[in-house]
Amino acid sequence: MVETMSMKTRRGLFIAACLLPGLALFLLFKVYPTIQIFQKSLYLWTGVGDEPKFIGLQNFVDMFHDDVFLLALRNTGFLMLVVPVLTLLIALVNASLLTQSKLKERGFYRTVFFFPSILSFVVIAILWSFIYHPTMGFVNSGLELLGLGDWAMAWLGDQRTVLWALAVTLIWQAAGYYMVMYMAGIDGISPDLYEAAGLDGATRIQQFFHITIPMLWEIIRVTIIFSINGVLTISFVIVSVMTAGGPDRHSEVVMTYLYSQAFTNSNFGYAMAIGVFIFIISLLLALISNKLTERGSH
Amino acid sequence: MKPKKWLTTVAASVVAVSVLAGCGSNNNGGNAASPPASNPSSPSASASESAGGKQFENMELNVAVFQGGYGREYWDTIAEDFMKDYPGTKINITASPKIAELVRPKIVAGNPPDFMYIAGSDNLPIINGLIKDKALLDLTEVFNEPAEEGGAPLKDKILPGVLESRSSSPYGDGQVYLAPYNFGVMGLWYNKTLFDEKGIAVPKTWEDWFALTATAKDNGRALFTYQGLYPGYLEEMIVPSIYSVGGQEALDQFYNLDPEFWKSDTFKQVWGLIERIAKEDNALMKGTIALNHTQSQTAFMQGKAMFIPNGTWFEDEMKDAPREDGFQFGFLGAPAFTADKPAMAMTNVEQLVIPAKAKNPELAKEFLKYLYSDKSVKLNAEKSKGVLAVKGAADMSIEFISESMYNVYKAVDEGIVTVNGAFKSVAKGSKYNPSDEIFKPISSIMNKQLTVDEYGAKMYDIFTDVQKELEQNGAQE
Repeated sequence: MVETMSMKTRRGLFIAACLLPGLALFLLFKVYPTIQIFQKSLYLWTGVGDEPKFIGLQNFVDMFHDDVFLLALRNTGFLMLVVPVLTLLIALVNASLLTQSKLKERGFYRTVFFFPSILSFVVIAILWSFIYHPTMGFVNSGLELLGLGDWAMAWLGDQRTVLWALAVTLIWQAAGYYMVMYMAGIDGISPDLYEAAGLDGATRIQQFFHITIPMLWEIIRVTIIFSINGVLTISFVIVSVMTAGGPDRHSEVVMTYLYSQAFTNSNFGYAMAIGVFIFIISLLLALISNKLTERGSH
Repeated sequence: MKPKKWLTTVAASVVAVSVLAGCGSNNNGGNAASPPASNPSSPSASASESAGGKQFENMELNVAVFQGGYGREYWDTIAEDFMKDYPGTKINITASPKIAELVRPKIVAGNPPDFMYIAGSDNLPIINGLIKDKALLDLTEVFNEPAEEGGAPLKDKILPGVLESRSSSPYGDGQVYLAPYNFGVMGLWYNKTLFDEKGIAVPKTWEDWFALTATAKDNGRALFTYQGLYPGYLEEMIVPSIYSVGGQEALDQFYNLDPEFWKSDTFKQVWGLIERIAKEDNALMKGTIALNHTQSQTAFMQGKAMFIPNGTWFEDEMKDAPREDGFQFGFLGAPAFTADKPAMAMTNVEQLVIPAKAKNPELAKEFLKYLYSDKSVKLNAEKSKGVLAVKGAADMSIEFISESMYNVYKAVDEGIVTVNGAFKSVAKGSKYNPSDEIFKPISSIMNKQLTVDEYGAKMYDIFTDVQKELEQNGAQE
């Protein structure tokens, strides 16, 4: 009896010892900086050598009088709305097509569509800035080849097209990844369901809406949140490399604005306040999308 | 369903947290900073007495340098020479392309390096932070002392105008806080071979310049392109033009963030050039606004445009880029507004600083002085291909730098009028960054989506606000 107890204790101790380093690192590098962000957002601080000065919620008040921040927020909002919707739609349709139609090249397409996910974001951004290159880019040359040369324009240099151009890049980058997730989900759906529906005379499209989507609903809910947060992170790299926020800040996103306030404007306190705001927004969005999609699971 | 819902929420927040944590890691330990320990130890005080009668309490010097296009070899060599000439001293060099990231935590902790060379757009903001915090050592005395025993003061060696400019004297009170290092010259470049072969005269005035749009068309190219994503490069034409039209007075207004500048005639004339580039047929290369610096510079070298703004680093930066046959770098600077005015060019000077909290300021000052010796100027040209902002540096460096660079520097030595300057710091905590506010909207002017009048009104409002913030800030202190 005593033996087993001590075995149990030792087991417990061993597990604790294994967990501790990871926990300590997590606390030190994730939790502590996060707390710091919340604290520093209440200060006026250049982030260099001065003493942070407590200013309460002033940073947050300033944020809503800052035109550039509001523009950046609007641009980010646009991307957060357009990119996840289109990405997931394309991923879902592709996944369904590739699993349902018994294509021979299935494996090939799966790899090709997944390919962007293993490229670094910087590489993707450079690649696409050449695709959009106004004179030798693939898009404009393609248009000219089709005799639509008049439609050719500097996609990244015009405030009317820049966000859409960036959205296409973000969708291209992410669609393959979610497609593979959905394909794994579809493979888990019993073929009997499709067979039965087929016998009852349901078309492929009806099957898609009445079998595939409901059966994948839980996966879709998770991917919505991943995708929204993905836009937030990836947009920083894509915008920095492809447009530097231009033209005239029409592609500035909150993350690039946060970075420039912190590191080029030495406005650390303000940048942290923007960070806190983004944190709250993404948390809220996650909760809202969760609530909105809840009924679908019944 | 409950647990699953929580799982998704937690997953989402973990993603969000890790994003934010990435940004926050730089402010680690802001509060844990310990006050700088004073360092009275003098490990080898006796040795210092033999060093030319100079004595230093502390013989150790920590130097942080930017390792960019100029490399670090110069710094390693000059430090060794210094240690030889001042026996007993010990110099520790930290070099990195991201030097600001390395020194930032040390500065925050109140333990900065004794001497810093900070350059590169990723790193420079830390200098702005130190200026805003008034955390730099006053170096005026170093430049008033003689360079050699009994000689003329060191400041006589420095290129005229540099020490007085805001890049050295950031508070406009004549006190030097940032010592000059390499200097670059910036302005418009052209393909010399094309001009020579076709017998095109180098334009002297902006009128001549715009007249070349037709010539450019005959040669299958546009008149002008620039680094579209980074409209800040346009300052290389704008700043000399402000000086050309309105003189030092207008330039001071511009750099002092005076809102009235944006209602002045100078503003209208200078920004009129931008509008003309945007509107005139074949003036701006198609698609320029969407190009980054490498793309636009490559287009220029391939003969798609006749002129582009850039600095003395141009040839080195683009050494691997494709180019049209026979391409040769030619430097024009900025044309004048009227024929009776000289051509001009903008200069930019890299900065050396000693933090106010440095532990060994005396030795750091001695090291700084040492860098301006002829031996060091030559060594710098040899190892880093840079040209120090001292008189006659071009000739001292001739065997080590490229011909196009030498020609540009020689032109400066021989009196092409140079202008330089830096914006006055905005109030602490201000959201405005003068350079961004001024140059970024130029993309919209180039796109013909913003008129110069609208732009001027917008600038007037912004800089009125900036001045208000400065007043409030002054009242607080």
